Amino acid sequence: MERINNYEQFKKSSSGIKKERESNSSKVIIKIAMATCSIASGAGPVFDLFKDEMPKQPKEFVLIPTGCLGLCHSEPTVEVTLPGSDPVVFGKVDVKRAGLIISDYIMKGKTVDCIIEGN
Amino acid sequence: MKSKQIKIALRNCGHIDPERIEDYISYDGYAALGRCLFEDTPSSVTDKIKQSGLRGRGGGGFPTGKKWELCAASVSDKKYVICNADEGDPGAFMDRSVLEGDPHSVLEAMAICGYCIGADEGYIYIRAEYPLAIKRLKIAIAQAEEAGLLGDRIMGSDFSFKIRLKYGAGAFVCGEETALIKSMEGNRGEPIMKPPYPAQKGYMGKPTNVNNVETFANVAAILNRGAEWFSSIGTEGSKGTKVFALAGKVKNVGLVEVPMGTTLRELIYEIGGGIKSGKKFKAVQSGGPSGGCLTEKHLDTPIDYESLKAAGSMMGSGGMIVMDEDDCMVAVAKFYLEFIVEESCGKCVPCREGNKVLYNILDKITHGKGELSDLDKLKNFGNIIKSTSLCGLGQTAPNPVLSTLDNFYDEYYDHVVNKKCAAKQCRSLITYRIIEENCVGCGACKRVCPAEAISGELKQKHLIDQETCIKCGACIKKCRFNAIVVE
Amino acid sequence: MSCSEKQEQIKKTIAGICSEFNDDPNELIAILHKAQGHYGFLPKEVQSAIAERIGVPASKVYGIVTFYSYFTMEPKGKYPISICMGTACYVQGAEKVLQEFESRLEVKNGQTTADGKFSINTLRCIGACGLAPVVMIGDKVYGNVKPEEVKKIISEYK
Repeated sequence: MERINNYEQFKKSSSGIKKERESNSSKVIIKIAMATCSIASGAGPVFDLFKDEMPKQPKEFVLIPTGCLGLCHSEPTVEVTLPGSDPVVFGKVDVKRAGLIISDYIMKGKTVDCIIEGN
Repeated sequence: MKSKQIKIALRNCGHIDPERIEDYISYDGYAALGRCLFEDTPSSVTDKIKQSGLRGRGGGGFPTGKKWELCAASVSDKKYVICNADEGDPGAFMDRSVLEGDPHSVLEAMAICGYCIGADEGYIYIRAEYPLAIKRLKIAIAQAEEAGLLGDRIMGSDFSFKIRLKYGAGAFVCGEETALIKSMEGNRGEPIMKPPYPAQKGYMGKPTNVNNVETFANVAAILNRGAEWFSSIGTEGSKGTKVFALAGKVKNVGLVEVPMGTTLRELIYEIGGGIKSGKKFKAVQSGGPSGGCLTEKHLDTPIDYESLKAAGSMMGSGGMIVMDEDDCMVAVAKFYLEFIVEESCGKCVPCREGNKVLYNILDKITHGKGELSDLDKLKNFGNIIKSTSLCGLGQTAPNPVLSTLDNFYDEYYDHVVNKKCAAKQCRSLITYRIIEENCVGCGACKRVCPAEAISGELKQKHLIDQETCIKCGACIKKCRFNAIVVE
Repeated sequence: MSCSEKQEQIKKTIAGICSEFNDDPNELIAILHKAQGHYGFLPKEVQSAIAERIGVPASKVYGIVTFYSYFTMEPKGKYPISICMGTACYVQGAEKVLQEFESRLEVKNGQTTADGKFSINTLRCIGACGLAPVVMIGDKVYGNVKPEEVKKIISEYK
């Protein structure tokens, strides 16, 4: 990020960054919790799988490692927002489920079990 | 789990990459700081924090705006901002989640605080047991400095603010602000008398403002969305939301942020999903080792500073441990005292000696050697320790004992008079017995018993020798015929 | 290496560590963290060297090392095992997990195995309460640990 030297520049830079985030709404947004609990539950290999497999899919995507959503009972968690849809959070995601999330939900819009309700 | 929650302190956790400052900025990050520096004055910003009604989230509940105002009023050539990230309450992980998921929210708030009180230097005192949080804070500080949003002449203004990390080393008492400051100065974490308060004389003898991580995490949101918005949430005396770490025997263990005034019942049953494994709710412990155990009759208590105190517990930092019928409340009280005895700094007699006395009595009781008079001793000593200890640790240490004695007197009575532990947790008060009718004499229990306490021939009824049995439970795990019970 | 050579080596290393912090007595805890990171523990010789370098009494350094539970005067194992005994872990059976580790490794809490490979100690809450009971080996966190899983966890390090 550029160094901010005055307030106007900050406001302009901030505005530009926000527009960039908004432009992501046309892409598949994948957020994976990578807090201490998440990593202890096995989120690392899940993240790696998305990182390796998503570039092979014919869909534009953004992969974001995040802090925890507070859903310790269902770690590892993955939130997927398809363009035009509400975010959906999957819980207890292992490498196998991650593969299904990609092939079924992301590519075909089919539900995969382990969706956490109300999130 | 979401519908009753309003995320303010946790607003960005789970949504942004904590290692990318751009992500934080895309969600109005550093906008509040910019407005403070270029469109507002220190006293006006402090007023806004006062108007919001924000109170310290570390457990003390002191009005944050008032705290900043007191420090701002101190005259000194040097002042400091300290963020208390020594989250030592067992069962609490609110601060860890904020620091791992949204470190910039704390950095921005510290800079705003520095602007308000007239400080150019800040420290985050963070426990060494949080390596990931430390890593992400270091990255965040470096990125903010590189972007000119921290360090010298922030955004080209006249205001400079640097933040450094200081590490704890495993001492719960260092969560107390004067002990924390002593530790930062390279000493044992021994609290001192207050006054003087840190706002007058703190780190290096200079006016210092100490706030908890969660308190800071609210600041930017308040300034971005307005003090009025924040104070419209919560109750009359407790504004905004509180983050709770819901743990123990509840189905949905995790981190939740609810408006102040939400009831314990809503928290445990609606958000927490109720008690797991079909067990019965017994108690919920709030406030860590400084708090008390609340029972079924307290479930409709609204969660706010005053109501929890009136019910015999306290808000604390936000740990909420749910217990069920299998938890022995006497053993729980003893567990907390054991913790306190280990963590006491040793400076004052009531805490150092008094809590050891309480622990010894509880230890006696859980080993089946307690007497009825011990229960009065617990109460009397507990009250003396509360009113004579030097700091918050000692003053609140007897709370778990006093509240369990109050709410679970029958259980204590059972332990000392009948020598029974209904929850079957206290080893000295339970016996393992083989039910003759169910025993087929397979010998599995006998083979696995490490104390050779089980006798019996193959296909004959087996028997446990109570004198030799060490109550390890290995036999009951092995038995496939439900022939062993714990009584 | 002779005793005096060892002491000289320690003084040199400690001088390097302390100078990173400008020999500032206020930074004593950070210095002790660094020194323990280097040596694995803080024996009297290291404490004396630090005291001398930054100009504080050795008794003060000793008082700090013995006050904070993170610091140890005994060497830890190559794989230090920390079992969380915070409230959430306690109610989920952490004591039984501790007992299983003690039984399998044949050492008690606070001790190191004879081959120096494993040491056991208890921690008061590392903040992963959602995964109670929790065990840390080095920096790696294991969650939802049952006594039956202890054998497998230990075998990862053999």
